[in-house]
Amino acid sequence: MRGIRAAAALAPALVAALVAAGATLAAPAPPAPPSVDRVLQLALDAPRVIDYEGTKIITAPRNGRTETVTAAEFHKRPNMTRLEYLSPEDVAGRLIVDDGATSWHYEPRLNTAFEGPTMTTGLLRGDLSLLHRNYRVTGLGTEEVIGRQAYVVQLAPNGPGVSRELWIDQATGTVLRTEERDPSRGVVLTTYFSRISFSLNLPTAYFRFRLPAGARVLHLFPTVDEAATPEALGRQAGFTVLVPPVLPEGYTFSGGGISRFGSLTSVNLQYSDGDSLLSLFEAPAGSIGAPAFGQDVRVGGRPARLVDLGYFRVLIWDQRGLHLTAVGTMPTETLLAIAGQLLSGREQALAHSVSRQVAVDPGVVDRLRREGLTFPEITRAVVLSQRLGIDVPTAVRFLQGRLSTAQLAQRAGVTPATLQRGVREALDQASSVGPHLPAH
Amino acid sequence: MRLNHHRASQLLSAYLDRELGPAETAAVQAHLLDCASCRAAYEGLRTTKELVGQLPVAEPPAGFWAAVRAPWLPRRAGAARIRGVFGRRVAWASAAAVLALALAATPLVKGTIDRLHASEIGVDLYVRQHAQAMGAEPFTDRAYLGLTTGDADLVLSGDAQPAGTAPR
Repeated sequence: MRGIRAAAALAPALVAALVAAGATLAAPAPPAPPSVDRVLQLALDAPRVIDYEGTKIITAPRNGRTETVTAAEFHKRPNMTRLEYLSPEDVAGRLIVDDGATSWHYEPRLNTAFEGPTMTTGLLRGDLSLLHRNYRVTGLGTEEVIGRQAYVVQLAPNGPGVSRELWIDQATGTVLRTEERDPSRGVVLTTYFSRISFSLNLPTAYFRFRLPAGARVLHLFPTVDEAATPEALGRQAGFTVLVPPVLPEGYTFSGGGISRFGSLTSVNLQYSDGDSLLSLFEAPAGSIGAPAFGQDVRVGGRPARLVDLGYFRVLIWDQRGLHLTAVGTMPTETLLAIAGQLLSGREQALAHSVSRQVAVDPGVVDRLRREGLTFPEITRAVVLSQRLGIDVPTAVRFLQGRLSTAQLAQRAGVTPATLQRGVREALDQASSVGPHLPAH
Repeated sequence: MRLNHHRASQLLSAYLDRELGPAETAAVQAHLLDCASCRAAYEGLRTTKELVGQLPVAEPPAGFWAAVRAPWLPRRAGAARIRGVFGRRVAWASAAAVLALALAATPLVKGTIDRLHASEIGVDLYVRQHAQAMGAEPFTDRAYLGLTTGDADLVLSGDAQPAGTAPR
């Protein structure tokens, strides 16, 4: 009898447990989190589909110390930006308006506007092949940023350089927070939104610059031509442009240009690894000297000057009648090694070595050098063309990120997965051939 | 007030000597910021003026002031007249030589000034271009790029110390 009563007392609990179990079984399984590549693609696509405005906090080296700067940031799809700097006092009132073609910087204190090229071309980039080849992309889970759920993604370079963490809004793909970490100095740059609003349709007029009455205008346009080769740029500038023979693995020639400021004419070569950039500026030595500030260093036994700006590092030296300036975020040792390779004068020896090792006509090596490619790039392009059965110019375009994996797979008549496997093998083979930047 | 190139180039010398009114001064300044050839002409004028300003003041030949102040006095014949004529010729020849030297040295001095100026602003000019080029990378923070290029603009316009030196 006592057993029956006990069973009767347990019955409602048992029923409740069964109902709960049934409910659990019937509920749809939570969606699987997207792959880290998908999350990164979401972040890449976001600026093209969404408008926002928010308050951004930037903590970065400035004026020889770490400073915190606040700015109101407005974005209109696909690539229009307006930045109103709020603090500290020396930047308060500074305005930057970029309509996707031209960038205007207005400084109210001077009633002066500076007109230059847009800074938003990266917002239109649709492919991350170059970045994926040169960075380890890792998902670090999810975190909350200003009350919004965000995926945390880390981009760590295969070579030396700054790694980046991105907090990507789950709902919109907007990057809510970034953190850049220098291998020798720790975190060098942090930016985050302290407030952000989406679902806006910001007026286009807000992204058109109107020159205030009486303001003077300075035009600061370098003539940038992504298709320009160092040889062509040298012809325009009137001197022979030096092309770096070796750069850290993954850096590829991404374009160049000529800038004129007063009587100073400089050629600029840019090399990208998909997320970071190295710029090399060359000018006749007679037109510019070394700055009076910075640190004296030696490269290949010759004097050079290093200016460490906390985030950017600048290395300056003279060579063969030219004044060379390398600017990037890579470690000092890497910049010194790049300069050392340029100063070593091993052009002919390296050309001969690469031509022999990858069994390619010396004329091809010479032509690619004149187009700005480093010797490791030439090795990669030739090995890739041989392995995939494609021509060398197509291999170069793919390696420079101007041809996506999908496009090349279509041309080669293989699936993207097969192509990626072939590319990996080809790059491994090229890497074993060299040449490499000396390790420090 | 806006000036065309022709008018601005005519006013450069007066601008250099601070002989213009506020409106014309501002207009010439604005034109100089935009016009490379006027900047070059201005630098040339400024250099020449500096060079000439550094020259020693040539003393007139003995007897010059006496001759100016007392033209009615009878001149001494013979040696004194010859010395006077010879002295004037030496003075004119010296002045011509100094002027020729100044003109010949102008490009050299101007080149040196340009080179010094380029050395001073070179790092900021190149960092600015590098930062702008970084806009082509998809995940670069544009608010930070704007801050960097904005700071460099101030150096290029002569309103701030170069990066890597004293605080702006």
